[in-house]
Amino acid sequence: MTALVQLINVTKDYGSFRALSDVNLMIQPGITGLLGPNGAGKSTLIKVLLGLVRITFGDGHVLGFPIRTAADQIRTHIGYMPEDDCYVHGLTGIETMQVAAQLSRFPATEALRRGHEILDFCGMGQERYRPVETYSTGMRQKLRFAMAIVHDPKLLILDEPTSGLDPEEREAMLNRIRILARQFGKSVLLCTHILPDVQVVCDSVVILAAGSVRVSDTLEELCRVPNPSMTVTLSGDRDAYRERLNAKGVNSEIISLRQLRVFGDADALNEPLWSAATESGCLVRGVSPSRNSLEQIFLSAVREVTHANS
Amino acid sequence: MPIHNLGYREWNGELRSPSTRWLVVAEIGIRRAWQSAWLRRMMFFAWVPGIVMGFMIFIYEQSAKQDGEVQDMMSAGAMALVTHESPDVIFRRIQQERILTGSRPSIGEARHLFWSALLQILFRRSQPFLLIPIVAVIAPPMISQDFRSRAFLLYFSRPMTKVQYIVGKAVTIGLYLSFVTMFPGLLLYFIGVLLSPDISVLYATWDLPLRVILASLLIVVPCTMLSLMLSSLTTESRYASFSWFAIWIFGHLTYVVIRSVASPGDSSMVQSLSLFETFNDLSSWILDPKLGVTHMETRLILITVLTAVCTAVLYRRVSAPMQV
Repeated sequence: MTALVQLINVTKDYGSFRALSDVNLMIQPGITGLLGPNGAGKSTLIKVLLGLVRITFGDGHVLGFPIRTAADQIRTHIGYMPEDDCYVHGLTGIETMQVAAQLSRFPATEALRRGHEILDFCGMGQERYRPVETYSTGMRQKLRFAMAIVHDPKLLILDEPTSGLDPEEREAMLNRIRILARQFGKSVLLCTHILPDVQVVCDSVVILAAGSVRVSDTLEELCRVPNPSMTVTLSGDRDAYRERLNAKGVNSEIISLRQLRVFGDADALNEPLWSAATESGCLVRGVSPSRNSLEQIFLSAVREVTHANS
Repeated sequence: MPIHNLGYREWNGELRSPSTRWLVVAEIGIRRAWQSAWLRRMMFFAWVPGIVMGFMIFIYEQSAKQDGEVQDMMSAGAMALVTHESPDVIFRRIQQERILTGSRPSIGEARHLFWSALLQILFRRSQPFLLIPIVAVIAPPMISQDFRSRAFLLYFSRPMTKVQYIVGKAVTIGLYLSFVTMFPGLLLYFIGVLLSPDISVLYATWDLPLRVILASLLIVVPCTMLSLMLSSLTTESRYASFSWFAIWIFGHLTYVVIRSVASPGDSSMVQSLSLFETFNDLSSWILDPKLGVTHMETRLILITVLTAVCTAVLYRRVSAPMQV
């Protein structure tokens, strides 16, 4: 499979500040989540992919075009939804869509028709005839998404597409992203802080921290735990329960105040889990196969950087 | 197949040429500026002087057929408005020249003199007073509002270069300024041609439309770049408006103050401080080189440097949001 994005040792400096440091990255077609704490270099990475800033060192390709020399071709095939508002003051929603399509070289009439079509897809009704300044946060969000897809791009870069949306709209937005990716073969780079969104729609994840890539893999691979284990939810004396398990030769680790990860096969753990509960006087409220949560993966990736810096 | 498909559809149509992108920016600018009622009113008044002067050409052409003295009086009146001299003095001078040379000048020469005097009045006395407020209405929000609403992301996340963006914005302002400089001047010329008794007028005045275009460009290009630069320096368009007015008013006031204390010989250099005087002299020099305007090289260099600096600053400012 040809990589959608390939970056080799990409470094970007703003004066003395290094925003990206030796980034090596390969993004495959599909939906990829781009995660990272504030100041991790996500926005700079997006600008590099769009060819908006010149990289200091390194090289790379986006959609097969070299990032150093073919910014125009790259931007022709990318749809970018910025996190912040971006509109031309004084225009209505449909006029803004027409302008966005015309800037992507659509003929004027075709741009208007396409604008209406995409606004229909995004669930925008008659409010499209109102000036954009009067739109609510959710409506602006939908308009930005519509502007990003109006020219039928191959790759979509979405910066916080669900922030500020109510649960219903959020679900609808994620559904649209899914439709574009699964039914129309669009590739999506989803940059967000909302980890459940990534967990729900993404195929793979890239975690950036302090300007470098900490994690880059498929979501399935990342969530898989190395050894078989079960997560036990308890009420009662957790430490006493853990002692009983140790006495039975079962290893465990603490996840939270009421949760333990118990290592071993589900069949082998069946008897010791219940007997240890009886002996320690604890109540087992739930047992499920352990999976690494995205939150854990994210936090451990970010903590590594924090520890290294301190 | 559903009659109205609300789903997503791929697009495989034919795209326009990449060289037309600046046209989209210009089209937005023109459409948005035209929403201002003040601009529409000013544009209406911009054509009035041209029409009034067209009427004066009509009277001139009628008098030319009958009485040479009326013709001379009209020429003297028009010249007086350009040179600040008394019409009586100019009229007497013309009459003396007639007596000394013993012959009347050809109708072609007299017509050229009168028409170019009218064009100078248009460029010096009426249009600058419209040009300054028109730019103050349309130019300040042009880039500053794009910065505030982050519209530059809409433009530059697509295959558009900064040069195309600047050209699109400049064409918007340039077009509106041409409506108060170039087009009324050309209208005045064509009214004159239409009202003239014979086609020989084209032979006598063929250079005037070219001079009008050149004089307009010398005003429009620096004004456009200066106003766009001011707009790019702030996200508050009112600051750009204030700066625009300040440059014109304080420049002219400084010139007036220095002229009143300096010796008369220095005044033409000092005039460069006032954009108003600089553009007036440039347009007069182009429309009638015989007027004897001095220090034109200095003023041309000044205007060229001003335009170049404004363009450089503008390009840098337009690139700036991407560097953050």
